[in-house]
Formats: sequence, structure tokens, C-alpha cells
Amino acid sequence: MDFFELTTDPLDISSVARRVIPPECGATVTLDGYVRQFTKGRETLYLIYEAYEPMALKEMEKLANAARGQFDISHVSIVHRLGRLEIGETSVVISVAAPHRKAAFEACEWLIKELKRTVPIWKKEIYADGEEWVEGEKESSLPQIQ
Amino acid sequence: VKISVLFFGATADAAGTRRGEIAISEGASVGLSLDHLIQLYPRLANHKLLIAVNEEYAESETTLKPGDELAIFTPVSGG
Repeated sequence: MDFFELTTDPLDISSVARRVIPPECGATVTLDGYVRQFTKGRETLYLIYEAYEPMALKEMEKLANAARGQFDISHVSIVHRLGRLEIGETSVVISVAAPHRKAAFEACEWLIKELKRTVPIWKKEIYADGEEWVEGEKESSLPQIQ
Repeated sequence: VKISVLFFGATADAAGTRRGEIAISEGASVGLSLDHLIQLYPRLANHKLLIAVNEEYAESETTLKPGDELAIFTPVSGG
């Protein structure tokens, strides 16, 4: 029942959150990640996201299965937007449905943390005074070649 | 043997292309292929790099076979 998508279309949070309401569940926790205007005082004008799409979808599926192994949850949805995003627009939605809320909160936090570490998606920050591809955390446990 | 190579984001900018192809000897490792790519595209050396082979994260020691798809990218920054 899980679903994973990449799209250049604007994301509709409630349609992701409510797409699957499993009968054994009583709560869905949904993360709405959106474009921040100010990062440590520096102003962002807009972002561009790109992905290694087939691998990103596979990595999302692995994360959902790993989350189900660790937390008492039923269903995971992950949708990430690609292309140009303006300030305040939603870049990622993660919804976790569970019989009880606590596991859903914990799994949602774990999923976004892992998504930022393993799913091959990159963002380019276009600042008021320059632009750069953001490179992720270096202490990642992924095999780093160089 | 020929291996296709994909670049994304910062590595696409560094290589000046999103897609390339390299010729390596059969059974060559990912690490060796990367050395070869850095000779072709020296600006790759300025980045921390992760590599995937056929859409799975790979180590330096992973060996390559004909038709493999190599992807070279910086630590991810989605979310």
C-alpha cells in the first residue's frame, strides 16, 4: 500500500496524507517540508531539485520497509518534488499511518532523517548573491569513494 | 568494455555533461573507473563523491561488467 513518487507538479499535502487510511490505523503523521527563505541569515530566492529518479524511488521503498521493521506502523507515503520551487512551496511530503500515533511520529522523524542521507536527490540554492548545489552531510555511513 | 556514466547536480556541472561513457578492462573496479573519470573530468576531484552501480550504492572495490550503469554524485541534499 506504500507509495513513492517524484513529480514536478505542486504537491497537495492532504491528498497524500489521506490517500491511504488503513482500517487498523488510528493516526497519520505527515511532514510538510517546504522551501525556507532564510538560512542562517542568507536569503534564498528559489531552489532547483533534481534526482537520480529510478534509484531515488528504490531508496524510498527501502526506507519504508526498514521503518516498518523498526516501528509499529502500517503504511508509508513519500512524495518529493523536483524542478524549480519557490519560497514556501512544499518540497517533500512524508505520511506515516499507524495503529497509534507515537510510532507514526517516531517513524516520520526517522524517515526524513534517512531520506536526507540516502535518497539521491540534490538541491541547488539560488541565493540573492550567488548559487550552489548543496552537498549533504559528510559523516554519512554510505560508502564514500572520495 | 564500455560502461555508461551518469552525473547529477554538482558532478554534472564539474563534468560539463550529464552522461558519458568510459572504456575499462573487464572486471575493473569502481575505484579504478573513478580514477579514469577524474583524469577526464579533473573538477570531479573537488567534491566528496558517492557512487552507484545499477541504481545501488557501491564501494570502491565493486567490480564492473559490460552494460553496467555507473552514477557519480555528491552526498545527497534532498528533503
